[in-house]
Amino acid sequence: MANDPQLNKITRRTALSLPLGLAASSPVVSGFAKAEEKPGEPVRGGTMVMIVQPEPPTLAHYAVTAGSIPLIATQIYEGLVTYDWDQNLKPHLATSWDIAPDGKSITFKLREGVLFHNGKPFTSADVQFSFMEILKKYHPFAPLFLADLTGVDTPDELTAVLRFENPAPYLMKALAGRDMPMMCKSVFEGTPILQNPSANRPIGTGPFKFGQWERGQFVRLDRNEKYWKPGLPYLDHIIARFIPDAATRSAALETGEAHFASYSAINYADLDRMKSNPILDTTMKGYEMTPALSVLELNAKHPPLDKKEVRQAIAYAIDRKVILRDVMYGYGQPATGPLSRLFKSVGFYTDDVRNYDVPDRLEIANKLLDAAGLPRGANGMRFSVHLEVNSFGEQWLRQAEYLKQALATVGIDLTLRSEDTATWLRRVYTNYDFDINEPFLSQGVDPVYGLNKQYLTSQIRKGVTFVNDSFYSNPEFDNILLTAMRESDHEKRAALYKKAQQILAEDCPLIWLIDVQYVSVFNRKLRDHTPGPLGPQQAFEQAWLEK
Amino acid sequence: MRLARFVGYRLVTAVPVIFGIIVLNFLLIHLAPGDAASVLAGESGAATPEYMDELRHKFGLDQSLVMQFVNYVTNMAHFSLGYSYRNDTDVSSLIVERLGPTCLLMLTAFGTALALGIILGLVAATGRNTWRDSVISLVSLVAYATPGFWLGLMMIVILSIRLGWLPTSGYDTVGAGLEGWAHVRDVGRHLVMPAASLALFYLALYARLMRASVLEQTGMDYVTTARAKGQTERRIMTGHVLRNALLPIVTLAGVQAGNLIGGSIVVETVFGWPGIGTLAFNALQSRDLNLLLAIFFISACLVVIINIIVDVLYFTLDPRMET
Repeated sequence: MANDPQLNKITRRTALSLPLGLAASSPVVSGFAKAEEKPGEPVRGGTMVMIVQPEPPTLAHYAVTAGSIPLIATQIYEGLVTYDWDQNLKPHLATSWDIAPDGKSITFKLREGVLFHNGKPFTSADVQFSFMEILKKYHPFAPLFLADLTGVDTPDELTAVLRFENPAPYLMKALAGRDMPMMCKSVFEGTPILQNPSANRPIGTGPFKFGQWERGQFVRLDRNEKYWKPGLPYLDHIIARFIPDAATRSAALETGEAHFASYSAINYADLDRMKSNPILDTTMKGYEMTPALSVLELNAKHPPLDKKEVRQAIAYAIDRKVILRDVMYGYGQPATGPLSRLFKSVGFYTDDVRNYDVPDRLEIANKLLDAAGLPRGANGMRFSVHLEVNSFGEQWLRQAEYLKQALATVGIDLTLRSEDTATWLRRVYTNYDFDINEPFLSQGVDPVYGLNKQYLTSQIRKGVTFVNDSFYSNPEFDNILLTAMRESDHEKRAALYKKAQQILAEDCPLIWLIDVQYVSVFNRKLRDHTPGPLGPQQAFEQAWLEK
Repeated sequence: MRLARFVGYRLVTAVPVIFGIIVLNFLLIHLAPGDAASVLAGESGAATPEYMDELRHKFGLDQSLVMQFVNYVTNMAHFSLGYSYRNDTDVSSLIVERLGPTCLLMLTAFGTALALGIILGLVAATGRNTWRDSVISLVSLVAYATPGFWLGLMMIVILSIRLGWLPTSGYDTVGAGLEGWAHVRDVGRHLVMPAASLALFYLALYARLMRASVLEQTGMDYVTTARAKGQTERRIMTGHVLRNALLPIVTLAGVQAGNLIGGSIVVETVFGWPGIGTLAFNALQSRDLNLLLAIFFISACLVVIINIIVDVLYFTLDPRMET
């Protein structure tokens, strides 16, 4: 398990991930398929400009996980391990690890000679402090991922033992710098963690050091001369630029001013134009560990949405293929259930659930609504509900407009309500003053994240955003999830999650719309930018710019 | 002497006005639902109630509205604009960073618009109903009716993408390490498109107003008198008409100069220009109240000061003005 990563070499995988061909005919086929091998020797030097949207409020990666923070912070902070393309653990700050037979402890051997950017050596004390004093207390995911972590032992400077109350198999995919970054103890010790100045001037062990932050313009990262991988990184600087307007972001790539844009920085509508530009290309690689679904949350406290038949009827009434084509420009796939297809490779996803995408779905929907005692009125409508439009971008308004039409065909009158983010979140997650909500749910690296947070009875928590706000409460289901969470045997775990998905699809507390696919746009001069499944949320230490 | 007393009087009366603005802003902002903690937690996608309580405590949102107000006014009395918890930094440093680029953009755009607008208006009025007049009127009408963001995007498409003459966005070339004149030229290249798209709207406004104003004045009796005295047309225009025709321009410019500090959200957004407009917009979106209140406060002060300057200008342009 403990062999060093091959340094200084482009692996076969990374070489393959470099799409260099011309525009493909189908928008869904990314550069990967059309890649023509073009080997090249990495060159040192150069400044890579990446577009980050929106500008992060802070770089306190350990306490705030707002979408764009990891794009910058993972250049600076590293995790104990990283992942290969098959999502197997790969050594990083830890050179090896050993899971106890009872699953209640993991022993990490740490890499020798790793230095923080302030010159302090990285030791087991930093691991202990990062987990116990920072991450467990302040990381937004801690209540899910670190709830069972009871302590970190440090038998010597280069050995850290994580101890758990119960086995924590879900943690094994969350140990990279994106999810569990390692901080320097001496930077934080004795100060209030949330007020620490490193929130805006982060100090980590990564290949790039924090340089400068001009608010509203850019963050500059500088090459870490003392990085522990000899000879890396290749780039001298990374500039993360913030451009609020979507059209201008696209233009900055087209003129060559910027080399890289990821996640939703470039509108789907612009991607075809990007692909036809000879200096640019796109890839869908690098998002394998970032599953996300667009969904509808139905408030089961608001009749008639308390009836399962009504919720199912809504699920039948929506044509996901239309949303995929007209709203997502073909990027993604229709969602089949509560888990993203990205969990297929690790064995957790199943499509053996109630299928809402059937040819006679409209008849079924009408029948269900009739049976629920909701006949059409004089105007052809059965009942009226409000839809809270997602405030994070105009594509959600387009989706809402389609939903209004689609639901009208089965006699449901939908009124759209658009508010700004703060008002929207307050209405939905604190006041519960909504019928249908239109969020976009990131599913994390393990089903524990996406399922527990969203469907457990204990996650009905007034005032907390993006948790169980549909009031779904099913003791049998709760039991399955809690058992699955602590089940060390992978096969048994997978079987439990299959059952969980079937129950959810039947009860239909949410309606799953699209399995989202992100796209990265890059300048062809930028090479080796996507070395693994964490893509833009891992360091660019192997990236280099052609002269 | 009379002028000094007038300015002094205006400054004294400005104090209660500004205090009133502070109170009103504070109350209005708190009418908006949602708070900074929930926005921050919302962007993170997850949080515990304890974490959100800790955030609210840190932000001072767990105190009563009255206490929050007292804290705020106490801060202001100590000349402190407070702390932006969202950005983890002082409000004043956030604003100072943006002040330079904002002033550069707005003064360039505003100055160009004012100067060119006055000249074009004058040219159009003196050549009334000639081709000059028609062309200027048509162009200013089109410019007035064209949305700034569209013009901005079109300039990017043509000047940046097609021709490659100008950079698409930003304040300077990041990481180029330019110094001295090279840096000034670099900033200038970045400034051209945002300043032009902003100036065009104001330019159209001033040109049209100036034309109308000059035409109105040329019909006045005093112009006939001057002409009867045998003065040249040029002398009538520069010595008599222009002075009077400028009064409405000064009034309008005074009102609009208040917008200077606020920047232009649209143009700043399109060109990624680090101005105060986008800072205020983001502060509003994320309920970063200290930052938002500080921007409002500075804008209010500026409006008051510019109004005083405009009144002083009236004095010099038109000595008949009484306080």
